Amino acid sequence: MADSFLHLARPLGPVSVGTAPTTAPLNVVIQPQAVFSILDHSLRRNADQERVIGTLLGTRSEDGSEVEVRSAFAVGHSEAEDQVEVDMEYHKQMLALHLKANPREVLVGWYATASELNTFSALIQNFYSGQGDGTWPHPAVHLTVSTQPGKDLETRAYISAPVGVTAERAADSAAFIPVPYELRYGEADKSGLEAIANAKDTEERSTNIVSDVESLERAIEEVISMIDRVSRYVESVIDEEAPASTAMGQFLLNALALAPKVEPADIERDFNNHIQDVLVVSYLANTVRTQMELSNRLATAQLTLGGGESAGGEGNQRNQRGGKGGRQGNRPQDRAATEEARA
Amino acid sequence: MAESQSPLVAVKVEALVVMKIIKHCSQTFPTTATGSLVGLDNEGLLEVTNSFPLPVVETPAESHFDNAAPNPAASAPRTKANGVYQAEMIRMMREVNIDANNVGWYTSANMGNFVNMNVIENQFFYQKELNERTVALVHDVSRSAQGALSLRAFRLSAKFMEAFKENKFNSEELQKSTLRYQDIFEELPIEIHNSHLITSFIHQLQCPSTSGPTDLPPSLSALESSPFSKSSTFTPNFDNLSLSIDPFLEKNCDLLLDSIEAHNTETNNYQYYQRVLGREQQKINNWKQKRSQENATRATLKQPLLPEDEWQRLFKLPAEPSRLEAMLNTRQVEQFSRQVDSFVSSTTGKMFAVKGNMLPGETAK
Repeated sequence: MADSFLHLARPLGPVSVGTAPTTAPLNVVIQPQAVFSILDHSLRRNADQERVIGTLLGTRSEDGSEVEVRSAFAVGHSEAEDQVEVDMEYHKQMLALHLKANPREVLVGWYATASELNTFSALIQNFYSGQGDGTWPHPAVHLTVSTQPGKDLETRAYISAPVGVTAERAADSAAFIPVPYELRYGEADKSGLEAIANAKDTEERSTNIVSDVESLERAIEEVISMIDRVSRYVESVIDEEAPASTAMGQFLLNALALAPKVEPADIERDFNNHIQDVLVVSYLANTVRTQMELSNRLATAQLTLGGGESAGGEGNQRNQRGGKGGRQGNRPQDRAATEEARA
Repeated sequence: MAESQSPLVAVKVEALVVMKIIKHCSQTFPTTATGSLVGLDNEGLLEVTNSFPLPVVETPAESHFDNAAPNPAASAPRTKANGVYQAEMIRMMREVNIDANNVGWYTSANMGNFVNMNVIENQFFYQKELNERTVALVHDVSRSAQGALSLRAFRLSAKFMEAFKENKFNSEELQKSTLRYQDIFEELPIEIHNSHLITSFIHQLQCPSTSGPTDLPPSLSALESSPFSKSSTFTPNFDNLSLSIDPFLEKNCDLLLDSIEAHNTETNNYQYYQRVLGREQQKINNWKQKRSQENATRATLKQPLLPEDEWQRLFKLPAEPSRLEAMLNTRQVEQFSRQVDSFVSSTTGKMFAVKGNMLPGETAK
């Protein structure tokens, strides 16, 4: 997906001393939810808008060499033939609101939903990387995500360096320098992405949340089909129908060597221990539930035990007994469950 | 909102919201994270199209009482400051064409321990004050880390709302309304929906397309560094296959023990109440007997009778403790045991698979 390019830090053109943001190489990490936000914004643009822009937020590593884009929000803007208007007031307010909820995130740059870089991009880029409200002294990251229908989404990340002979020219121009980026998702995101990816091949683009067992079933089915594919390949190599490959053979051997060698008796023992643990906890959990339900039912079931005041007192006593029964019943379980927890 | 509308039947969550919630919840894990949901109500199908986290407000000094939530984030959705924040945020979102209706809130949970007063009060606040047609999305961070995504949508049932409004949780009212712990929440089915762009993005994220045969790798290192060996498949998630039993069971046992403790406290409270009640009633009966005897002697002496209902002024019956905590606790235990069941069902399967794999001869016979 990413283009290959050589990244060099270089000194650049005339700038007023002390205002130049660093142009040292940096690595951009994008989290999927930022991309999702950008895509959502692109869908919600006004009908006459070619592209939309917004602010990127995230974290910067201590030495400034890595920028992690964590979230994004949309900023209204309008482009005409010769002028561009960005709702800076909106940007500032939204940034303040956002920082309230995410105190750890900082402004890192901006995005646009078109691959094109033009004069306006340079203007906006200079705003975002400027002093005061911008990211100065760190470079602002500019992310372009092309969202043209019918084409692949193309993501590019840039930082900029000032160019221009005079100060006036430098204000509305910038040299965009492509920087490498990678899409990174954490362990926690994975289950979410899995659920989302479930819907990727369906017509209506939606899916239900699957239960643990269902997802296990899918995973196992997938593994079985993968093993089938590999064994088919191996068989066809043996039958000299497919070309053999030493590398592939080595790879498969390495994979097979991962199987641990354990004594059958050990396995038997471990298996039995664990299965007992699991089943006992399940049994206890359900017993506790039943006990509690019973005790609650008894506590609120006075009227069914008889009418009148005298019966009420009796009912109370029965309740107490019920409550006690519940507690006594719970106690041995308490102990058993603690033991279980220790095991 | 008009009552005549059809009731909410399902929740449709955009992929963006799923990711945002996951990000927020896992960032603040293990403390609770809460946020607000915006979207549209489409004739019974609640579409959640965007979300934003709520800031954690430090509880002001005035709430010095001890039972204030230990975690300010948990009660964030119903605090006043956040109401303002929410209104402001929604106003801002409207400007960039995001559906600007509040449709609920989300919270994170740890091993399903979300049935507590905070959740109830938040949702009650939303359903009562803001908009009847709102949901609470609960994202369970630790269960999602175990495998499948755990995201559930809840609403308070109408019956419970009624009871909670008037705080009718003594035994008599509960008998009358037949409100059971199963009736506290209504769970709505969740559907995850992707936009076209996201569908296309997900397709791109996946491993390179295998259209046409590829050349065989020249060496092992080439194979290992090729895009195929580090392809990222999202579905199915092979993390599910890993076999880690003990941490999960241990955590669950801990939580169950806590619940049992809470249950015992509740029972003790109730028993105490009943003892006091019994004693008071005994006193009243004694008093009544005395009074009627006195009246009987007065009647024989033709003296005016003393009123028989004075005991209502003299004695005060203790107030019955609310059964709400006990109900919630039971609901929570039910949640735990369901969770254990579902875990056990998949784990036993995996364990037998491992055993069968390690001891092929054993299972074949």
